[in-house]
Amino acid sequence: MNDFSELEAELTKLRPAPVSDDLARRIERAFAARDETPTAGVLPRPQRRANGWWSFALGLTGVAALLVIGLAFFDQTPVLERAVASAKAIPAQTAGFQPAGLTQVVYSGHDEGLVYPSDDSGAPRRRLRYETRQIVRWQNAQTGASVRVSYPVEQVVLTPVSFQ
Amino acid sequence: MESIVSHEDWQTCFAQLGPALLLFARRWTNSQADAEDVVQEAFVRFWRREHSIKNRGLLYAAVRSAALDRLRREGRRVRREAAASVGSSDHCEPVFTTEDEGQQLLAAAVERLPNEQKEVVVLKIWNELTFAEIADVLEISQNTAASRYRYALNALKKILQPHE
Repeated sequence: MNDFSELEAELTKLRPAPVSDDLARRIERAFAARDETPTAGVLPRPQRRANGWWSFALGLTGVAALLVIGLAFFDQTPVLERAVASAKAIPAQTAGFQPAGLTQVVYSGHDEGLVYPSDDSGAPRRRLRYETRQIVRWQNAQTGASVRVSYPVEQVVLTPVSFQ
Repeated sequence: MESIVSHEDWQTCFAQLGPALLLFARRWTNSQADAEDVVQEAFVRFWRREHSIKNRGLLYAAVRSAALDRLRREGRRVRREAAASVGSSDHCEPVFTTEDEGQQLLAAAVERLPNEQKEVVVLKIWNELTFAEIADVLEISQNTAASRYRYALNALKKILQPHE
């Protein structure tokens, strides 16, 4: 027995004030709303994703792909100038939209060497293959709306070769 | 460990622990109504995580955390009022139900204790936590918890001595 046993016994006899009925009802209502809110005014902590590195890796891959495409584009700049200069005719007007522009981007060109076509001339020709992307834009003058269509094009050009 | 998740179980548990939880929450609140809000938030949060009823230390830690959060939310004014009210029962509603003059004196003596001693006494006497559990709840060492308890009982004896 310690010196305080008597005092502790007296303290134990002292009873805390009772809980109001209203508090029990409020708690019951809070539990009833369990499906509506996950916690009592406290939002659940978002779970950390274990595969967070995937997002980083995917982002890095995207940046790398853009860099490769960009470098290929700049390597083909002289070809681009020639190709843009030979842009095709703009398509006709459609449903209030008028052709507003055509852009042709050459992002790859290959010299495939000499070929001998089976036509009457029999003369050798140099075959050049271009991979391009054409972007056609239509615009409605009244509403200001515009439509932009982009599609890939592969061109094969046969150039006559003269031997001198 | 016993897991209590059903409606009846939380009611049984709350009926047993509610008054002592409120008494504990009163350490940081200015009124019984504020203490009830704190207990509601903490109890619902605790039960939704489906902790064991035997792990009562976590429940008291949740009450303390909810009370401190509330103090922070309500800002300096409420903190000042709460600090003014702690240690002085003049403007507070009674936190104990008393049956005679002796108990009234004892309740008043408890209210005169410093807050850090009072919360240890509340947890020890009316919530029946061990010093190890009290140390966890209040984030202090077991020795500190035991010392504060001893100082509190000494202080109570001194306060009550002239009346004995």
